[in-house]
Amino acid sequence: MKKKFPLLLLFTAVILFFSACIKDTDFNQTDDIEVTPIIELDFLFSNITSQIFTDIGVNNLVLSDTTDFDFLNDQFTVDNLERAEFYFKNTNSMPVSFEMKFQFLDENNEEHYLISIPIASGELNNPVISEQIENIETDGIVSLTMADKVVLSIEASSSVDNIEGTLKLQSKTTYYLKIIQ
Amino acid sequence: MKYLLICFGMFWGFSMISQNKEVLYGLEEVPQSMLLNPGARINYSKHIGIPFLSQIHVNGGSSGVSVYDIFQESNTNINDRIRDKIFELKNTDFFTATQQIDVLNFGWKSKKEIYFSGGVYQELDFVLYFPRDLAILAWEGNANYIDKEFDLGEISTTGDLLMVYHFGVNKKINNKFTLGLRGKIYSSMLSFRSVNNRGSFVTRISETDNNIYEHIVSNADLTVNTSGIASLSELDGSSQVMSKVLGRAFFGGNLGLGIDIGATYEINEKWTASASVLDVGAIFHKKDVESYKVDGEYTLDGIELLFPPLGNGDSTPPYYDDLVDEFENEFPIDTITSSYTQMRPVKTYASVKYNFGKAIGGSGACNCLKMGENQEYNQAVGFQYYSMFRPKGPQMAATLFYYRRFSNFLSVKATYTADSYSYSNIGLGLIANLGIVNFYIIADNLLWYENIAKAKSVSLQLGFNLIFAE
Repeated sequence: MKKKFPLLLLFTAVILFFSACIKDTDFNQTDDIEVTPIIELDFLFSNITSQIFTDIGVNNLVLSDTTDFDFLNDQFTVDNLERAEFYFKNTNSMPVSFEMKFQFLDENNEEHYLISIPIASGELNNPVISEQIENIETDGIVSLTMADKVVLSIEASSSVDNIEGTLKLQSKTTYYLKIIQ
Repeated sequence: MKYLLICFGMFWGFSMISQNKEVLYGLEEVPQSMLLNPGARINYSKHIGIPFLSQIHVNGGSSGVSVYDIFQESNTNINDRIRDKIFELKNTDFFTATQQIDVLNFGWKSKKEIYFSGGVYQELDFVLYFPRDLAILAWEGNANYIDKEFDLGEISTTGDLLMVYHFGVNKKINNKFTLGLRGKIYSSMLSFRSVNNRGSFVTRISETDNNIYEHIVSNADLTVNTSGIASLSELDGSSQVMSKVLGRAFFGGNLGLGIDIGATYEINEKWTASASVLDVGAIFHKKDVESYKVDGEYTLDGIELLFPPLGNGDSTPPYYDDLVDEFENEFPIDTITSSYTQMRPVKTYASVKYNFGKAIGGSGACNCLKMGENQEYNQAVGFQYYSMFRPKGPQMAATLFYYRRFSNFLSVKATYTADSYSYSNIGLGLIANLGIVNFYIIADNLLWYENIAKAKSVSLQLGFNLIFAE
């Protein structure tokens, strides 16, 4: 028996070495993994004076500019963007009200989403801040992510020729992503 | 992705810790212990390892998280568990994986009582420090972290696949002192490293008031060194890649030199001390070298629209493309092909042991089978220290061990190790000698063998040798 002990020990130990197991785990949970980062990113900004209106023409009431925004219809964004919240802050020190429009267009200039913002008139020494939040979800996200450019149009309610003051646009977007396999 | 995660998890669970071989160190019956201490005592006249089977070794670890921590069956959501772990881990936590296969291993004792040994082994060594800030940024985004500086310098990783050719000498200088030296030629097959990076990213409320925020990358200086990787992208298919990588194993890669040195000192018949320093050397990467470097600073505050007056046919300024170009100009990726030298991660072992129990080969103060030498005993206890240099400092381990020789047929060594991974690592090694056939099997973290998913580190070594007695 004494001589058999080492053999028995070796046999038992080798069996034990190879009997290690993984249990109480569920690797199917990988299906449930969701990465949900919330990203704050600056959007468009501008400082508008009456000069910019009059550079285009006397008594001109409308400004428009366009920028590509390829990020919106990037495949990653299309696949993973759940919600987008735009925040616009306009600080107006001109005694004129404005209507601001953000048109989200695709490459064929077809409009997929529109945000309109009324901007109250202000005073040179007492600028008025107009804030707006645009929350876009579900079908709105589908439309938004078909666009790859943004057209910003600003329409003055009356002539701004020779008016002092500025219209200051600041904006950001909060992107709510949901990344799943 | 699911299968990738599962494979990663299984690999993680089965094969991770650092390169510490605390059970094998000092196991004089196993020739591979000479790879850990070239100055180990040797009690046989020659040995031959069974090619490719004389040492199969996989190990690795995650210093802060186990497979079970993430994938446990539980009522809590897996996403909450991942989030909790991301915040719990520190940027000094790491994931490592190492693997070795002895291709050849042999040795013989000369007439002048010098034991020569040599061989070839393949080694994989990988370490990734947990980039905590970047993990938080990726998992959570920046929305709830306005004004927090995310540290880009936390990116720190190295990986090496190499073949090592070695030849060593071991000489018992006198009855007390055995000294050994091993020279190594490294043939690197693949290598990458990205260490000593710096930089930060922050989103803060705008100080210029241009827009709502400023997104700022500051003092970015990131580098990745690679060798043996750039040329693989030109190859067609995995067979060509394998062929090219294996071709480098036979001195076709970037070469390096290193030494191991070790000694054993028998203080008296009861006490023995030993120590070794391994892989003091460097690999000189000269062939197929590509390093990528990015540095710069940048502040993004959105796109400013200028409303320029446009005539018919004029197009609006390319604001978006200008922004992308500006960013790329600020962070050009420099590709550098100049050679670089990579120091090998130096490993250090030290041990002291107390021998006791039944005398082997006789009794009393002399060994009657080896006249003039200290008496050997069938049991020993002792303490071992291990350290390995990594990019963010040494990884250390302390081990208490118990050794018992049951017969000429079977020896056992049990260890308790405290290291970066846990304070509850129990290891066990079994060495069986069946005639000239020597077989050993070693594993650690045995407390978790009942459910290995709970182990933060596990290693397994086994091998077969032919050993010829003196």
